[in-house]
This record gives sequence, C-alpha cells and structure tokens, in this order.
Amino acid sequence: MIFLSFFKTLVGKEIAVELKNDVVLTGTLHSVDQYLNVKLMNVQIINPEKYPQLTALQNCFVRGSVVRYIQIPPEHVDTELLQDAARKENAPASAASSSAN
Amino acid sequence: MAHSIKEWRDKSVCVVTSDGRIILGELVGHDQVQNLILNDAKERVFTEGSAPEMVELGLYVIRGDNVCMIADYDQNAWTEDAVPPLPPIQQHENI
Amino acid sequence: MEEPLDLIRLSIDERVYVKCRGKRELRGKLHAYDQHLNMILGDVEETVTSTEVDEETDEEIVKKQTRKVGMLFVRGDIVVLVSPPLRTG
Repeated sequence: MIFLSFFKTLVGKEIAVELKNDVVLTGTLHSVDQYLNVKLMNVQIINPEKYPQLTALQNCFVRGSVVRYIQIPPEHVDTELLQDAARKENAPASAASSSAN
Repeated sequence: MAHSIKEWRDKSVCVVTSDGRIILGELVGHDQVQNLILNDAKERVFTEGSAPEMVELGLYVIRGDNVCMIADYDQNAWTEDAVPPLPPIQQHENI
Repeated sequence: MEEPLDLIRLSIDERVYVKCRGKRELRGKLHAYDQHLNMILGDVEETVTSTEVDEETDEEIVKKQTRKVGMLFVRGDIVVLVSPPLRTG
C-alpha cells in the first residue's frame, strides 16, 4: 500500500500520466485508489497535434492497468520518508510482523 | 475513492477503450471494476483521411478490463480533422 | 538474503538499471518499490530503442531516444528486469 499512501500525499498536485499507448495526460490529481486508478482534473494532452482525438476530455478517470509511468514533481516528494517507507514495506518476513500497518 | 466515477452517474461520459476506441454515452451503471452501462452509446470513429463519424450503438455494457479512461468532455472541443484512431494499449509489448 | 526482492531492497537509495517492455531502459535512483515492482525512481534517464528499415538498402536503422525525468513512478507490470548498482553500465 506504499504507493497508495504516496499518491494520496500528491492529491491536488499536477502530475503527468503516460499510458501504454504513448498518450501523456497532465492534470491535477483528484483521487487514487488501491488499484492505483487515478482521477485527474482539467486534463491536458501533451502533444495534442499527435492525439487530437482526446482534446475534448476534461476530468478523467484513468485505469491503473493502462498506466506506464507517472511523472511526479520532485519538489513534492520527501525522498527520505519514501525510502524509509519502502524499507519498512519490504522488510524481510522475520521483521515484517512488527512493522505491519 | 473507488466511487470517483460515481459523480458521472446519469451524465454524458466519454469512454476510451484499451483498443483505442472512443465511446460516448450516458453512464447509467458502473461497478468497482469499471464495468460500465452506457445508454444511447455512440462511437466516435476516427479514420485516417476522412472526417470523424458518429456511429449509433444503443445500450452498451463495457467490461472493465477493456476500459482505459472514463472522462467528462467539452461537447464543442472534439476535433473534426481527418485523423487516425488512437493507438491501442498493448499490455504485452515486446521486451 | 533469500528472495529476489531482498536484493532490490538493498538497492534503495542507489542508482539502478531497469529494463522495461517496449524496448525501454531506465537508469535512476531507486526511492521505493513494492511487491509488484512498482517503483519510484529519481533523476531518471529513459532510453527508448526503435528500429526502422531503410526502404532502399533494406538495412535496419537502430534509433535511440533519451530523455530525462526528475521523478518517475514506474508501473510494475512493464518491468522486465532490475539490476542493482555496480552493474549499471
């Protein structure tokens, strides 16, 4: 659940979601769920000249399974906190029981 | 959070499917895995070299697995240019 | 250390090489990952390799496009391999 918690901290921030068909959408992150489905507000298509089919979209729910990358503004990420959370989340089985959420 | 498409109930939505098709319709039902019921569905068919067309589909159920995006849209902002369809999502691109 | 992902855990805060589907390669600092191999990488360099066939000579032309991204979430289902530091050449 580390990434669910992580993306929840980015709600309200601008992110860029790259899909597995090369389309890139930017927008304000509105919500995220356990499947890492994301909802973006006021979506803009990066290179609309290449994907003009999507220019009419406004607020957009993107299924997690079609996402390739999500670009995140680095200034909104506490990398130390993130690394600690990752170490905890992936702690070896013997240590996991004490750090379970 | 799973309810984030709930606010589009009974409203006009645009569904982009993973094969790259664009289907518009009134969202009259949905569930946790994005299975959708669209009333009065229409497909916006893009063909390279000729202007986009609207094809009436009627009442449609779309299986969630095939959904790429669900969105509301600005009715007046669709392109009328003769552009090719969107590329499909390839879940298993070559390594 | 017993399981494959334990090796990746040791690579947190190190630069790693990640090979992805669609002839994509990433190099960046590993900040986080989970059991699906979803990852967050920092200071990422992405290289996408594509091949085109020259119509006249029938030769394959290999093109490499590189871009830089400050902070990138990578969905685990496109990840093919992760290589820890020291072997990132």
